[in-house]
Amino acid sequence: MSFDVPDDRGYMESHEWASDEGGTARVGISDFAQDELGDIVFVEFPDEGAEIAHDEQLGVVESIKAVSDLYSPVSGTVTATNDELLDAPELLNDDPYGEGWLVEVDLADESGLDELLSADEYRDQIE
Amino acid sequence: MRYDQATWTREDGDENADTYEPLLAEKRSTEVAVDESPLPDDLTRESVALPDPSEPELARHYTRLSQMNYGVESGPFPLGSCTMKYNPKFTEDVAALPGAGTHPARSAASTQGTLELRHHLQTYLARIGGMHSVTLQPPAGAAGEFTGILVAKAYHEEHGNDRNEIIVPESAHGTNFASAALAGYEVVSLPSAEDGRVDVDALEAAVSDDTAALMLTNPNTLGLFERDIEEIAEIVHGAGGLLYYDGANLNALLGRVRPGDMGFDVMHYNVHKTFATPHGGGGPGAGPVGVVEELAPYLPSPQIEERDGEYERVEPEHTIGKVHGFAGNWLVLLKTYAYIARLGDSGLTDTSAKAVLNANYLASQIDYEIPFSPFHHEFVASADRDAADVAKRMLDYGVHPPTTKWPEIVDEALMTEPTEAETQAALDQLARAFNNAADDSDEALETAPERTAAGRIDQADAARNPRLSWQALDN
Amino acid sequence: MSDTGRGSPFAPHTDAETTAMLDAIGVENQEALFDIPEDVRFDGEFGIAPRSEREIRREIQLHLDRDDDLTAFLGRGHYDHYVPSMVDHLADRSEFLSSYTQYQPEVAQGFLQALFEYQSMLVELTGLEIANCSMYDGASALGEAATLALRARSVDGTRVLIPELLADGRRAVLENYLAGTDATIERYPMADGNADREALADTLADDCAMVYAENPTVRGTIEEGLSEIGELADEHGALFCLGTDGVALSLLEKPANVGADVVVGDAALGLGASGGLGLGLFTTHEDFLRQVPGRLVGVGEDSDENRAYTLTLQTREQHIRRERATSNICTNQAWVALRAAMHAAWLGADGLVGLAEDCVTNARDLADRLDDIDGVEAPAHDRHHFREFTVRTDRSAADMREELEDEGFAVHAIDDHLLQFCVTETNAGQIDELAAAVEVVA
Repeated sequence: MSFDVPDDRGYMESHEWASDEGGTARVGISDFAQDELGDIVFVEFPDEGAEIAHDEQLGVVESIKAVSDLYSPVSGTVTATNDELLDAPELLNDDPYGEGWLVEVDLADESGLDELLSADEYRDQIE
Repeated sequence: MRYDQATWTREDGDENADTYEPLLAEKRSTEVAVDESPLPDDLTRESVALPDPSEPELARHYTRLSQMNYGVESGPFPLGSCTMKYNPKFTEDVAALPGAGTHPARSAASTQGTLELRHHLQTYLARIGGMHSVTLQPPAGAAGEFTGILVAKAYHEEHGNDRNEIIVPESAHGTNFASAALAGYEVVSLPSAEDGRVDVDALEAAVSDDTAALMLTNPNTLGLFERDIEEIAEIVHGAGGLLYYDGANLNALLGRVRPGDMGFDVMHYNVHKTFATPHGGGGPGAGPVGVVEELAPYLPSPQIEERDGEYERVEPEHTIGKVHGFAGNWLVLLKTYAYIARLGDSGLTDTSAKAVLNANYLASQIDYEIPFSPFHHEFVASADRDAADVAKRMLDYGVHPPTTKWPEIVDEALMTEPTEAETQAALDQLARAFNNAADDSDEALETAPERTAAGRIDQADAARNPRLSWQALDN
Repeated sequence: MSDTGRGSPFAPHTDAETTAMLDAIGVENQEALFDIPEDVRFDGEFGIAPRSEREIRREIQLHLDRDDDLTAFLGRGHYDHYVPSMVDHLADRSEFLSSYTQYQPEVAQGFLQALFEYQSMLVELTGLEIANCSMYDGASALGEAATLALRARSVDGTRVLIPELLADGRRAVLENYLAGTDATIERYPMADGNADREALADTLADDCAMVYAENPTVRGTIEEGLSEIGELADEHGALFCLGTDGVALSLLEKPANVGADVVVGDAALGLGASGGLGLGLFTTHEDFLRQVPGRLVGVGEDSDENRAYTLTLQTREQHIRRERATSNICTNQAWVALRAAMHAAWLGADGLVGLAEDCVTNARDLADRLDDIDGVEAPAHDRHHFREFTVRTDRSAADMREELEDEGFAVHAIDDHLLQFCVTETNAGQIDELAAAVEVVA
């Protein structure tokens, strides 16, 4: 099976992504991750204003039969959260790179994005 | 063979067409005002609304519900590691004898007969496990684990050992991890070796001055006997740790090996798995804990001891206190006593023989790969397709399916434990259910089951939109 | 069927079948199937003689007959209410009794629906939105409530406040549930049997994770200012855990209305005196849904879009979340929950409220009777009581308890000069005899 890995963003080995929105980053989980988890039924992420740090726990995502911690690909302050997910966690399955985004982060350091895996590197990891 | 579970469905067009048997609240409910109570109004609630059916209606309600429930008398129930076997009827009558259930606060002097029975059961279990002392207080297997780990913790503390880790094999029951964590330990997960057993080298690397105990199931969840058990015990004891025996699979070894003789220091017994007390759809169980002599002073309080023919409740010197508000699930323990007495030495030893015979026979009759052997009372087959789908299809063939997708070391696992209580004919039926499901099309599997009271249930929908009471159904 | 001495009567194999099965496997005998090193094999005997059903029934009856035939006026968390015959007969149907946890919901709709109904009745009685399928007993439910409080993100602090007067079992079990945490347990004082709310206000602070109170209390007194405790807890961001029971719930203030965040207790329904075997209640607010311990039954849809029941939110549980589970509980008291639901439905709202009202009047009647006796003062606390009450004695309570046993009655001696009596419909008929006996020993 092949998974969608858009080139326009960076990835974590733990399957989160971050996209550069110019000073802020949008964060989510990869297509591979949502497929591994199966039907996602619940997601928990920090409130707006929370300080988060690269590779530290960002939240939790639950499917029927598994629980997975989410790790932050970037450091900074959470400026927006995707509250749609609270009522419709299936968006994480249906559109992990679009409507299934998790949070937006005001980056403490924009260079943080450069340290993430490129799409090619991440593809190699999951193959 | 084909199976059609009873269902009760209203006619189409009825507004309640989607209910099999209506909820009690949908039948008749009454709201009663609490306004003439013997208490001042400010101490009472305003009203109570509860279902209010007559006894004949209730009898029909619960009979219909029972018909929509599969039990071990409905057919084979080979849930691996859960162990569902026939529950002898006479033990129910024993537990219902007049005087079987007295109040737990009754004095020792006025309940000598009951205390003597408890003492006998402590003694039976100690002999069966090769242990020195046994507490009957833990109300279930997981509570037994928690108790055993608290005993180990108290022992280490008393000896000035500051140990904060419990080692648990990756393939262990989830309760092992949770019980150790509840007792405040860090859990160190131990990967399996390629042969499915404990990786002795990895264990050697994992133990340290921080090791409080290793929790082990033997035979393990693949049904394999941990042949290196003596070396394992030496490694753990050498590091100053204790060895905990998860009694979930003791039914495979009854009368052949005793945990105490293998070097285990503390263990729990699962009375429904090893001694055929009914599981009751999720309890009540009982999880007695046995310990070696050195750990006896740490057991929960009280212990029942005999002195000059009198039975007394005694507080062990360094007791961990209590793990149940009263004296544990006594009536379940009484059924355990009756079952052990019925079997005696020869019956107990035959139980493990036939449990292992049945598992091996069933395995020989099914067309599935079984990657790990030689197994004992249970085996883990690989479905080679979605194990959950195979399980749903097996329901249509009139059997309960095995435990699925666990342990994860086997791909699409079907963890199967027929128990000693099945006949060859029943095992053949079970094998046909396995084999038919293996031959069925993907479509047949994905749409199964079709002959049960409910079709395949959408778990994701139930979890995304939790409705956990009839009050929540209107939302 | 084999009777004794020839293997297990519940392993149904004939010799011919055993042989055929061994042949099919391809081994000589049963022993060849065991992969066990010689060194660890057990070659001794347990010394347990097999007996027939008839012998065992007689043996156990003889043991039970050695217990003194006393009328118990005992309570303190374990209550002897009359359970209608219907409950035994229907709950004993083997489809219920001999089933497993509902891992395959499509063939377990019956039990799941019954548990869903049980949860719903508790939601009605407590006013809280979430009830689980059961805990072992009130003590472990209290322990679980405290660990929930420590986990809940909305709660800070590590102090757990409990009443000075509390059943030993509940306190001791709570201590063990908190043994793996950094929480401390502190007792707050009682005033004339009830919580001393002023003292509680003085000690409650932002470093408290949970305040526990009971209604009725362990001495049977009915609390008079629970809302105040609820407000105090709320003010300091602590959870308010209320201990009660299934009968008292139908009469006393609704827990949701006094600010309770978690309700625990022993059901007191579905089983009479049973040596301590009980049923732990656990209900809480929707806010704590993902922190709830134990099993939850929810509603979903099946493939025909019909309503169907299933265990849900299982990612909280040990088999998935392992060391990070909300609890280690697996097997609980499901069959007792089934019985409790049957019992409550049989009573109906009217019957349940009536039963609870009798708990007040029966206790009052007995206390009045005893208070007329020289040498005893009943009730010892100037409170309303539910089911049980304490009695101040001039003589040693321990001596009186023992002498009452000789007169045929079991009661609690809880302090040097305090006895405790519990009355329900199962012993209310013997109040006269009890009063006469107290008169003899007072």
